[in-house]
Amino acid sequence: MQDFLELAVSATASGCIYGLMALAYLLMIRPTGIINFAVGEWAMVAAFGGHLLLSRWEWPYAAGMAVVILFMAILGSTTERMTVRPLVERGAPLLAPILALLGVLVVTREVISVSFPPDPMPVPFPFDIGRLELGPIGGSYQSFFIITVTALVFIGAWLFFEKTLWGKSFEAVALNRRAAALMGINLSRVTTLSFAGGAAVAGLAGLLVSPNVSAHYLMGVPLAIQGFTALVIGGVGRVEGAILGGLVLAFAEQLTSRYAPIPSGFAQGVPLVFLMIFLLVRPTGLLKVRA
Amino acid sequence: MRKWLAALLAAVSASVLAQETIKIGVITDRVGVSKPYSEPATEGVIFGVDEINRKGGVLGRRIELLIEDDQSRPDISAALARKLIDQGVVFIMSVSLSPATQQQQTVTMEAKTPQMTPMNSADYLTTQLDNPYFWQTGPLGSVQIATLLAHARTKNFRKVAVITDNSDLGQAIAKAFKGTLEKAGIQVVADEVIARGATTAMPQMQKIRAAQPEAIFLAGVLTAENVLIFRAYRELGVKFPIHSSYNLSVPIYETVAKGLVNGVTFVDAYDPEKAEVKAFEAAYKKATGKDPQNLHGYGYDGINLIADAIRRAGSTDKEKIRAAMQETDYAGVMGAKGMRYRFPAGKRVGFDPNGMVVRVYEKDKQGRVLHVGAK
Amino acid sequence: MRVVAWVAAFVALAALPFFLGSYHNDVYRKLLLWVALALGYNFLFGICGQVAFSHFAFYGIGAYGVVILLFQVGLPLPIAILLALLICVILALIVAIPATRLEGFYLALVTLALAQLFIVLLNEGGTVTGGAGGIANYRLPPIFGTRVSGPTYTLVIVALLMLTLALLWRLDRSWFGRACRAVRDNPEAAAAMGVDVARTKVIAFTLTSALAGMAGMVYAFVDNTVNPPIFGLENAFLILFMVIVGGAGRHAGAIIGAVLLFLLPFWLSPVVGHHHQLIFGALVVGAILLWPKGLVGIWDRFSR
Repeated sequence: MQDFLELAVSATASGCIYGLMALAYLLMIRPTGIINFAVGEWAMVAAFGGHLLLSRWEWPYAAGMAVVILFMAILGSTTERMTVRPLVERGAPLLAPILALLGVLVVTREVISVSFPPDPMPVPFPFDIGRLELGPIGGSYQSFFIITVTALVFIGAWLFFEKTLWGKSFEAVALNRRAAALMGINLSRVTTLSFAGGAAVAGLAGLLVSPNVSAHYLMGVPLAIQGFTALVIGGVGRVEGAILGGLVLAFAEQLTSRYAPIPSGFAQGVPLVFLMIFLLVRPTGLLKVRA
Repeated sequence: MRKWLAALLAAVSASVLAQETIKIGVITDRVGVSKPYSEPATEGVIFGVDEINRKGGVLGRRIELLIEDDQSRPDISAALARKLIDQGVVFIMSVSLSPATQQQQTVTMEAKTPQMTPMNSADYLTTQLDNPYFWQTGPLGSVQIATLLAHARTKNFRKVAVITDNSDLGQAIAKAFKGTLEKAGIQVVADEVIARGATTAMPQMQKIRAAQPEAIFLAGVLTAENVLIFRAYRELGVKFPIHSSYNLSVPIYETVAKGLVNGVTFVDAYDPEKAEVKAFEAAYKKATGKDPQNLHGYGYDGINLIADAIRRAGSTDKEKIRAAMQETDYAGVMGAKGMRYRFPAGKRVGFDPNGMVVRVYEKDKQGRVLHVGAK
Repeated sequence: MRVVAWVAAFVALAALPFFLGSYHNDVYRKLLLWVALALGYNFLFGICGQVAFSHFAFYGIGAYGVVILLFQVGLPLPIAILLALLICVILALIVAIPATRLEGFYLALVTLALAQLFIVLLNEGGTVTGGAGGIANYRLPPIFGTRVSGPTYTLVIVALLMLTLALLWRLDRSWFGRACRAVRDNPEAAAAMGVDVARTKVIAFTLTSALAGMAGMVYAFVDNTVNPPIFGLENAFLILFMVIVGGAGRHAGAIIGAVLLFLLPFWLSPVVGHHHQLIFGALVVGAILLWPKGLVGIWDRFSR
């Protein structure tokens, strides 16, 4: 039982990372319909940024984190302006920006690969390595930090969509672009904001996960796939779906790994089989879109 | 007339001295997953060639290195081997991934061109294909586990766990580990795999803990995933010792796993107290201004082994080189004190089974040698 | 194209290996295989509008399939080939039939998962698949008593390529090709015109996947080695890039894209070092933004 509680903390922390990646996708998909697989590489850029600012130049954690996230937001909006905007304005089919962003994925990864040595780089923790015990539940400081930050982000995102005017305009654009434009919503501003937000959230995920796994230039694609799987499971319609999908995926992965009587190697197939089943059986995800 | 003759003689002797170089091919990885290991090894090769050429070359001729990048793609690797052979190399050195080295073998076997890997440790490289032109002087996975076990013998383990990642080499080393452990009568009570891209190793470590082993043998070769394993180990407060493959001898763990690896023992082919090692480090630092890692030593030994074989062959005829290589008896930088590279009885694995050392991480640095050899 | 042109092309392509050294021959054969794969992928993606990442998985299923059936199960060559082909077809149907009921990107995602699952199974396959090390040390069994290898084997590859091109060319011009294009451009209009959208998608996917499988079977005897890294996911991205840069929807585009992106790393290596991936990514972005019809589109504009 002790094992299970311990695992629950670890799975929750992993689920938060997946959930943040799913949220990043969601922020961009909702208003534009564009699936941006480059979110994984964005997380990687933030991780390397964290290494540079926090490890090499030894900035205080909060300052370093804030600067990296700000940088990511700028990177996201620049990407949008340079690769997505021209296509959308041209009326290109939806597939075009998705593919262009695949190209951006490769370019981003190679730029990082050129700029840093090939070995994985360390990224420091905000708090020392240690355990926190809350009654029967125990886990590392970093796990609780991840969970807390993610919770804050999701609450913020939920409030954004539900309560603010900007959030409502995102929804409006998601439902009907033309109507939204007619109502005076600035489409291009919404798109830029969505990409900036997506990049910032992906960057946050990268910063949170990299102290554990280190920053290395192949970390992007697995994160992108994990985030996407979480999104499919949870459903694109609602913000809560992202975190739900992330948690379901992480728990499925880790519980199978721990308790299922199958050889360890096959346990890697679990998330993939999960994804395939979900896509074929319930493509809209667990949570229904709000009417 | 005399002047004319002298000039002619000078021209002839100049052209004789500026004779053809001896071409040696190197297939490395500059962009793919093997880059962190291939790059330093290649640098060691380049340093070795400079040194050899400065001292007069081999058989009075300079060595010319033809370096190709296979991007960790085995099918391109095979094509590059052909390219090098067409360009007239007499020997190919493989410092990329084990499957790439394997794929190159199909070509070198067909073209009867000598090939060697100074670094790859997969056991199947000399067993899957019967290629008399291929030699492996990297420390085999089976040698690594034998050395680790010899060190741990005093502790009389009966039940142990093995953990690795899902990379090709990680799986090969784990297989070697398990085979040897089982032959020694030790029960492997847990056998776990961390997938590339995982965010935690907690479930696998919990499963291991539940099986109550007396030690863990780490066969993984992916740095990020190994770091996850160490973290889960610390988080769970597990106490049984970790014994690792030679992957932990790569110095990156001193930075990226700081605070996590003290007390972890690992096998290494690098004894910092060895005279040859000290000489190598000094010479490398003098020539390049940087400190070498143990990975550089593999490349350095590799090129010297090749040069030594060519010298003994007395010619650049591939068959003579092959015969000479098989007769190798050379002491290099890698390996325990007194180790010599030899290929006994027609086998093509040159790293002495007793040539590894067991070291331990102390104060976040690679520390002293605890044990030598597999006895 | 007239029959004479086809025969001439076949002869030219088949004769070339006899003039090339062994290294260039090796590159040439792999290039031909990649062109065949690109043609098939172009039909699925460029002409039928389906994004899928499983092309290389089927390449691998064909390759591993024929090797396992020949050397581990011990079947004779023709039966091994047919059976491996059948496996590809059945698997493609299993994936395509449910996936095409859904719209848009779902096929892409299912095939993405399939591609990864394939590699996991290969790695965990123990003695059947050779695990992470793969299977090596085999040779094509003698066909009618003769050993086919070297430049003669290149004939087989050329034959495969020409058959693939011929088949896709005919299909493209037939009613099926028109149906595929209709499905790509406007599925609702296509349905209104009486096209069975789901069936068209399924047939296109199954056909192109089977062609990829056949290419895989031919590949298995090029290097006489099969291992997991050869069939990895990065290749699926590369093939997509090839088709985009060359010009999706046109056979010539697939050919140009494949030739360019396959040979580019070999040419660029001495110049740019090893960062050709960077150039590929940039090319793709450039292609989509600036030359959406691909290199073929630029060619067209010049030849006007």
